[in-house]
Amino acid sequence: MLEKSDKKTIVVALAGAPNVGKSTVFNLLTGLSQHVGNWPGKTVEQKTGIVRYNGLTIQLVDLPGTYSLTANSVEEQIARDYLITEKPDVVVALLNAASLDRHLYLVTELMELTPRLIVALNMVDVARQEGMNVDVKALESALHMPVVPMVASKNRGLKELVEAIAQKCNQPADSPAVGHVEYGSEISSDITHIEGLLADADTSPYPRHWAAMKILEGDSQINKLLHDRLPPDRQAALASFLSDKESAAITLAGLRFDWVKNVLASAQEKPTAGRHSFTKRIDHAATHPIWGLAVLAAVMILVFGVVYGIGVPVQHFLEVSLIERLQALVFDHAHFMPGWLQSFLGNGLLGGVGTVLTFLPILFLFFVTWGFLEDVGYTARVAFVTDRFMHSLGLHGKSCLPLLLGFGCNVPAVMGTRVIESKRARLLTILLAPLIPCSARMAVIGVIAAAIFGGQAILVTAGIIVFSLAILAVSGLLMNRFIFQGERAVLMMELPLYHEPNPRTIGMVSWQRTIAFIKRAGTLILAVSIIIWFLSYFPSGNIEGSILGHIGRGLEPLGKLMGLNWQLMVALLTSFVAKENTIATLGVLLGRETTGLSQTLKGMLTPAAAIAFLVAQVFFVPCVATVSAIRHETGGWRWAAFSVGFQLILSFALAIVIFQIARLV
Amino acid sequence: MRSERVEEYLEAISKRQKTEMPVSTSSLAGDLGVSLPAVTDMIRRLEGEKLINYEPNRGVSLTAKGSRAALTTIRRHRLWERFLTDILGLRWDKVHDAACRLEHAVTPDLENGLASLLNYADTCPHGNPIPDKDGHVKEQDARPLSEFEGGQRARISAVAKEEGRFLRKIEKLGLKPNSVVNVLRKDDDGTLELKLDGQQLRLDKATADYLMATSVSPSNEAPEEEIPMSMLRTGEVGVLKSYFGGRGMLGRCLSLGFTPGSTVKMVENFGSGPVLAKVHDADVALGRGMASKIMVTRINPEC
Repeated sequence: MLEKSDKKTIVVALAGAPNVGKSTVFNLLTGLSQHVGNWPGKTVEQKTGIVRYNGLTIQLVDLPGTYSLTANSVEEQIARDYLITEKPDVVVALLNAASLDRHLYLVTELMELTPRLIVALNMVDVARQEGMNVDVKALESALHMPVVPMVASKNRGLKELVEAIAQKCNQPADSPAVGHVEYGSEISSDITHIEGLLADADTSPYPRHWAAMKILEGDSQINKLLHDRLPPDRQAALASFLSDKESAAITLAGLRFDWVKNVLASAQEKPTAGRHSFTKRIDHAATHPIWGLAVLAAVMILVFGVVYGIGVPVQHFLEVSLIERLQALVFDHAHFMPGWLQSFLGNGLLGGVGTVLTFLPILFLFFVTWGFLEDVGYTARVAFVTDRFMHSLGLHGKSCLPLLLGFGCNVPAVMGTRVIESKRARLLTILLAPLIPCSARMAVIGVIAAAIFGGQAILVTAGIIVFSLAILAVSGLLMNRFIFQGERAVLMMELPLYHEPNPRTIGMVSWQRTIAFIKRAGTLILAVSIIIWFLSYFPSGNIEGSILGHIGRGLEPLGKLMGLNWQLMVALLTSFVAKENTIATLGVLLGRETTGLSQTLKGMLTPAAAIAFLVAQVFFVPCVATVSAIRHETGGWRWAAFSVGFQLILSFALAIVIFQIARLV
Repeated sequence: MRSERVEEYLEAISKRQKTEMPVSTSSLAGDLGVSLPAVTDMIRRLEGEKLINYEPNRGVSLTAKGSRAALTTIRRHRLWERFLTDILGLRWDKVHDAACRLEHAVTPDLENGLASLLNYADTCPHGNPIPDKDGHVKEQDARPLSEFEGGQRARISAVAKEEGRFLRKIEKLGLKPNSVVNVLRKDDDGTLELKLDGQQLRLDKATADYLMATSVSPSNEAPEEEIPMSMLRTGEVGVLKSYFGGRGMLGRCLSLGFTPGSTVKMVENFGSGPVLAKVHDADVALGRGMASKIMVTRINPEC
C-alpha cells in the first residue's frame, strides 16, 4: 500500500513489557523529535517520534508496556486497540533476552494480530552474563520473522533495527506468514462455536475470529462490548456455552507457553547454575524486610543530599541574583511605568511565576536522580520492600514511588500515580500525595523555624515532617476505610535485573518530566498569580487596603483560634499559588526596611503560634499546580474539590488543636 | 464419696479454667445450664469444703484439692467414653451424655480396671487427654484451629465440644481427631477456608474455636499435596497446579507466566509481606494475598 516512491512515511509501533528498555530504544531512535501526549481519553502517556533513514520517514509510536494483549489493564487495552484500529505498517516487539520465555508470550499474542513483526532482542549482554546465549539465526527460523540482537543501554543494534524495519516494510504483503500457535482441536472448535454465535453481530474493530478467542479467554472488555451488541437469545446461548469453559484461559496460556518452549528449545542455551548472580547479590540486601529499608533510607538520604546539596544553592542563587535583582530593577528604575504596572511586574509576575521557576533546578535534579534509580531497576525494589506498610493503608508498594516523588514536588507525584494499575489505589494515592511536604514547603518551614526556634529549628523541622507523615498514614487508613470501603490492592510486578544506566535516557526522561511540569503548572500559575496580585493591589494600591487584605482581616477571628494575625492568614492564602509564596507575602506585609523578616517574625509569633502556623502551612490546600494535576489525573473537578476541602479543614483543625494545646504547656 | 453435683461443678470449673481465670459464676451457670442463685449456693458449699477459692465479684478457682478431685472425675469420664466406643462400639457422638452419668459411679478399683482394659489409653474418643491416676495430664501444644493463619497446616488433636449435634456436624465435614488440614485463607470475620483430602471447605469461627489443633511442619507432608505458593520457603521449588480466586486475577497471573505446570522458585519469603518468586526466568514480586491463592506442589530441587 505504501509502494509510492522512495520518499514515504511508515508507521511503526514499539511493543514490549515494562522495564524492557522500551523508552531507551524510543529515545535513542527519535531523539528530540518527540511528541508527548495522552492516549485519547486515557491518562496513559502516548509518545510518538520521527526517525529518518535513507529517505524513509518512520513515525515511531511507543505502545504502553504490556505483558499480554488480554485487557487486564488500561495499558493492554490501549496497545491492542491501537494495533487493531490503526494497523501500523510494522510492529517491533522489544524483548528482554535474559528472560525470553516470558517475553515471547507477548509475541504469540502479537502474531495473531499482525504478520509484520520484528523481534528486537534487548539486553543480550546481560543475558550472556547470566549464561544465556541466544542463537539468533535459529530463533529467526523458528519464529519466521527477523530478530535483531541489541544492547540499547550501549547504543548497540539500533541501526540494524532501523534497517530491519526498512526492509520489512518493503516486503510484499503476501510474504510468508509468521509462525503461529496451534491451539488443538478442542480449543479451535470452541472458538468456531463462539464465532458462530457472533455471526450476525458487529465485532468491529476486532476481527471476528480474534474476538471469539478473547471471549473464550474471559476478556471482560470484549465480552462486555459484544454482549451489548448481541440479541438476547444469543447472549444467553453465549453465557451458557462459556459457563463450563472457565479453564479455557488457562489452557490457552499454557499452550502459548508450550509453543514458546518449543521455539526456545533450539534457539536458547540455558545456563547450568549460578544465574542472576549480580542481581541476586544486591537483592539479598535490597529486598530484605529490614536491610531493604536500610538500603532505601540510605538511597533516599543520598538522593536528597544530591538534590538539596546542589539544588538549593542554585535556587537561592536564582532567587537572589535573578528574581530579586529584576524586582529591584522594576521598583527602583522603572519610574516611567505607572505604579500598578510596576507592582504587577515586580510582585505579580516576578514574585509569583518567577519564584516558582527558581525551583525548577531542584525539580530537575530530583527527576534526574529518580530517573537514574528507575533506569538501573531499583525503584521496583522500593515497591517490594514498602509493600507491607502500604498494605495497611489499603495500597500496595507501587504507591510508595509517587509518594517519594512528592518530597520533590507534589505535581509529579500526582502524575506519577500512573504506575498504579488499580483505579481505586491510584485515586487514594493521588489524594494522599499532597500531604507529603514538598521542597517548597520545606523551604518555608526552614525559614520560619530558623527565625523562631534558632538552634532547635532542625528538631522542629524534623518533627513537622514526621507529624505530616503520621497524618498521611491516618488519613490513608480513614479514607480507605470510609470512602473506599477497605478494598485491597494487589502487588504483582516483575523485578527487572539491575543494569547499567543510560545517561541519555535519564536525561531525556528528566527533561520530558520537567517540560510536562512546566506545561501543567505554567499557565495556571501565571493565571492565578495575576488574580492574586490583582486582589492584593486593588483598590487601594497596597496590600493592606486591598481586597486580599480585607479577606485576611475577615478571617482574623478564625486566625485568632490558631494564634495567627491577619498578615499570616493572607500569607497562607497566597500560598495557594505556590507554597513558597508564604515567605514572599510575609516579606511584603511585614518587611519594614529597618528590621529583617526574621526579626519581625520573632517579635510577632509565640512558639505556640509559630508551630500552629507551620502545621497550617504544611497541610493547607494543595497549590494550584497540584490541584490542576489532580483534576487532570482524576478526570474531573470532583476529587480536586474534595482534596482542597479535605486539606482546608485538616489544616485549620490541626492548627487550632495544636495552638490550643501548645498554649497551655 | 462426693455427690454427683459437686463433681459436675468441679469438672466444669476445671475445663473453664483453661480459658478463664478465675471462672466467673455466670459462665459456670451457662456451662452447667443452671441458674445463677443455684451456682452461688453450690459455690458456698464447695468453698466450705476447701475445694475452691471464691473471690466475690471476680469468680472461682480450684484449690489443689479441688483440682485433684476434678481431674479424677475427668479421668473417669474420658475412660468411660473410651469404653463405650472401643468396647461397646457406640458412636462418638453418643457417648458423652452416658459418660456423664457413669463417671460418678466409679470406685478406684473400677477406675483401674477400666484403664487396664483400655490399655491405658491416653485420649478420649474426641481427642482430649485422659489424666493419669495421679492427676497428671499429658500436655498438648494444641491451640484452637481458629488461631491458625492462611498457609499453615494443622492436625486436629481434639474436639473441645462433645455435644452430639456438634460432633455430627464436623464429622459430616470430614473433620475428626488426627485429620490434617491446610488452612488456605482466613477471612476478616475469622471464617477459615480449609483444604482437607483435596476438598475445600469453609468453617466459621465459632466452630473452629472448638477444634484443638497442633501445627504440622510443612516438610513432613506428602510431596503431591497442593499448598498455597506463600507456603513455599525461600529456596524451595514448586509446580503450579491451580488457582483459587476469581477470574479477575487470572489474566494477570497468566500473562506474567504463572501458568499451571510452570515451575516456581521461591526467591524470598520472609513469612509476612510480599514474596519474590522466580517464574519463567524472572523474579516477580507478589503480594502475600495473591501468593496464597496460587496453589503449587512442592518438588525436591534435587530431582
